Amino acid sequence: MIRKKPAIVLFQCQYCLASSMDQYWVETELPENVKLIKVSCSGRIDPLYILNAVQGGADGIMVCGCMPEKCHYKEGNLHARRTLSEFCNFLNLLGYSQDRFVFHWMNIDERGVIQSLLTEFEKNLEKLGAQPHLKTRTFSQEKA
Amino acid sequence: MPTTRDQKIQAEAKRLLQEGVVDVVIGFTKGTLPYKMQPCFIQHAEDVEQLELNGLCSNNLAVYLNHRPKDERTAIVVRGCESRAVQTLVLENRHARENLYLIGVPCIGILDLQKIQQHEQDPVLAIQEEGDQVHVTLKSGEKTFQRSEILHNACLHCNHPLPVNADMIIDEAGLFEERTFDKSYLESFRSLSLKERYQEFTKEAERCIRCYACREACPMCYCEECFVNHSRPQWVDSTIDPAGQQAWHIIRAFHQTGRCVSCGACERACPMNIKMTYLTDLLNQDMFKEYDFEPGLDPALMPPFLALGEDNEKFGVGPEGSHAG
Repeated sequence: MIRKKPAIVLFQCQYCLASSMDQYWVETELPENVKLIKVSCSGRIDPLYILNAVQGGADGIMVCGCMPEKCHYKEGNLHARRTLSEFCNFLNLLGYSQDRFVFHWMNIDERGVIQSLLTEFEKNLEKLGAQPHLKTRTFSQEKA
Repeated sequence: MPTTRDQKIQAEAKRLLQEGVVDVVIGFTKGTLPYKMQPCFIQHAEDVEQLELNGLCSNNLAVYLNHRPKDERTAIVVRGCESRAVQTLVLENRHARENLYLIGVPCIGILDLQKIQQHEQDPVLAIQEEGDQVHVTLKSGEKTFQRSEILHNACLHCNHPLPVNADMIIDEAGLFEERTFDKSYLESFRSLSLKERYQEFTKEAERCIRCYACREACPMCYCEECFVNHSRPQWVDSTIDPAGQQAWHIIRAFHQTGRCVSCGACERACPMNIKMTYLTDLLNQDMFKEYDFEPGLDPALMPPFLALGEDNEKFGVGPEGSHAG
């Protein structure tokens, strides 16, 4: 039996990866089970985007943004931190475990952290197993 | 000299219209069915006799502030939840507080017709209230209920039945005192397992027919274009399949975080009797735990998602160097 790797959706703020090598890796060499959604700021990530990913079958959600006070738009990441962490709690109440969320606020001098984070997250998700709840979406966004 | 609650409301409304303090008084009047009350807009002092208020007034009148011109001088008959809703709308710049006159009424609770139907299958012909007792005329005869038996759940869990920050308060006893929120039903939901919580949620959401009556009844749902109405890109499936139903209930509730005043107008408007205040109550409970915030109580305090305080400690992230991810 071929075991499928957990599907991960990575929401990434375009300013948070200061290292261009890491950015290049994220854009071109991501493993197939990770889908990158690059946004202009972590504050732009509407809970609806995350819910769409969850309903579309994502086993894990990773959100990467800038450190507090390092936001290109001053306070987009503060907004994201409050709303998305609460949204994560809320989904936890409705059947999507909060262990399937990872928030990481990138420091400017971090190099090669995103790869190790993704590997670790993937390991954790494999332990948790398949995600049966809220996986309900049947129509495709691309056709619309 | 006005003696009853209705007469006092009418006298105040008459004074406001005669003296030209306001252009319109929003209140309740008798509806087309004998046990339904409907909102009314009184613009002339001679019409004030129409105004009434009883336990059958199930709408939240604050919703009409979103539909009226912003600069219209308006008086509203408000109960506890409505006054908090007005407060939140003022905070969000939907209406200027100086153009509003709040006629506060200590709340007597809202009756839930569904609860009567649970006891009695017969069609209800009329409902008469008398203090703590409610006389219901059914097709087969009359029956008397205690008011607390057939109160709406949102009213049973109500925390602040007295109007907040009203311009005047009608001098009549309400049904409740200020009390601490009965959290037991939320705690019992939280104590369920992940799977049970999902099943509970699905059981409610799958009955949704996507009529959006909850949205129309809610004073906090005032977006010009709702996220479910977007067609390009279509964020949420608009048919009654599980994906669309669940997404609607999750995001609708989440948009109310720290804003919902727990009036229960959404549940009363729902034609399918879907429970949904538990979702917003859970979120509000989180907001209270983490930010010590309750919607509509403090006229100066912004909701947590609008006020971005420095909460680095809470998230374990410092501005420089150390962080816990």
